Amino acid sequence: MSNSDLEDDLRGTFERAAASVPPATGLTERATTGARQAQRRTWIVAGAAAVAVAAVAVVGFSLGGRNATVQPPVAGGQTPAASASAQVAPSAETVSGTWRPVQMAGSTTLKADRPDEPLIEFKPDGTWQGSDGCNGLSGTYTIGQRGEFAVKIGPQRLVGCDNVPHTAVLRDAERIALDADTLKFFAGDGRELASYARAR
Amino acid sequence: MEFEEYVSARGQELVRLGFTVSGDYQRAEDLAQIALMQAFRSWRKVRKADDPHHYVRRILVNEYLSMTRRRSFTEAPTAELDPQRTVPDPATAVVNSDDLWRALAGLSARERVVLVLRYYQDLDDRTIADVLGIKPSSVRATASRALATLRRTRQSHHV
Repeated sequence: MSNSDLEDDLRGTFERAAASVPPATGLTERATTGARQAQRRTWIVAGAAAVAVAAVAVVGFSLGGRNATVQPPVAGGQTPAASASAQVAPSAETVSGTWRPVQMAGSTTLKADRPDEPLIEFKPDGTWQGSDGCNGLSGTYTIGQRGEFAVKIGPQRLVGCDNVPHTAVLRDAERIALDADTLKFFAGDGRELASYARAR
Repeated sequence: MEFEEYVSARGQELVRLGFTVSGDYQRAEDLAQIALMQAFRSWRKVRKADDPHHYVRRILVNEYLSMTRRRSFTEAPTAELDPQRTVPDPATAVVNSDDLWRALAGLSARERVVLVLRYYQDLDDRTIADVLGIKPSSVRATASRALATLRRTRQSHHV
């Protein structure tokens, strides 16, 4: 059988298959309702997370204020977590480079097959770029003197695959810690969100 | 174009595309719904695209490929084509077509998607590469491998 016979048969088969599909009803309603419900769930989760973060912050501040007189001063003005051995003060210069994800809270498929390598690159000029495996990502970032971290995320495509949730990590991160080859992101409550290894 | 107008004009096409890639009527509707939900959430951006349908089709196809990679994914049995609904076709062609339809179930998800985009959606390899986020040479290699598999399957059935 020639290739063109097979190709013609394929066209016919797909046409027949497509024609056999019964008419779908209510697609608009299902799509809009589903999207709105998903959005509402996101708001509820985000709201609950904000309340939790605020509660932790209030407790943290009150405990911090109580202990302020008995805590020994930390050398170099760094936070205790950041003062461990091999720590490097994080700054736009020291985090500059390309990083690959090693561990992310709640993500178990970091090594799945994807069209692109899911790396992120921080540049010394305060911009970052990368890929979640299928979509290009970019934005800007700032790092404070004690590792305070904030990003702005630029527009991105929404191609679905086993996307590596870099943007969720960056968005939720409020502090980073760096040693020679490991960059860690922490949430406002001190939870470790992700760990990246220097790729190049 | 408003979202409702788009769904009313192209929604059924999406379900058909979902069926040709998945071989399952229920999954086809799910895929169309997921693609439309995602498009609806960023509709302002989608409607500005040169070809909104290309954008939504890309979501659907990649959602299917993503779905097949999940551990929880179970292969749905390939639906028998309903002869009452299919387009008129000479009897022998129908038999050949049904054999081919069953043989398609033996391909990998990506191979099948490439064939659907090429022979059902009539997309060129460059556009298919863009939809799947891979190189055109990978599209050609995947299509060639899939066609060779189908040819072998048909020959073994005809022996």
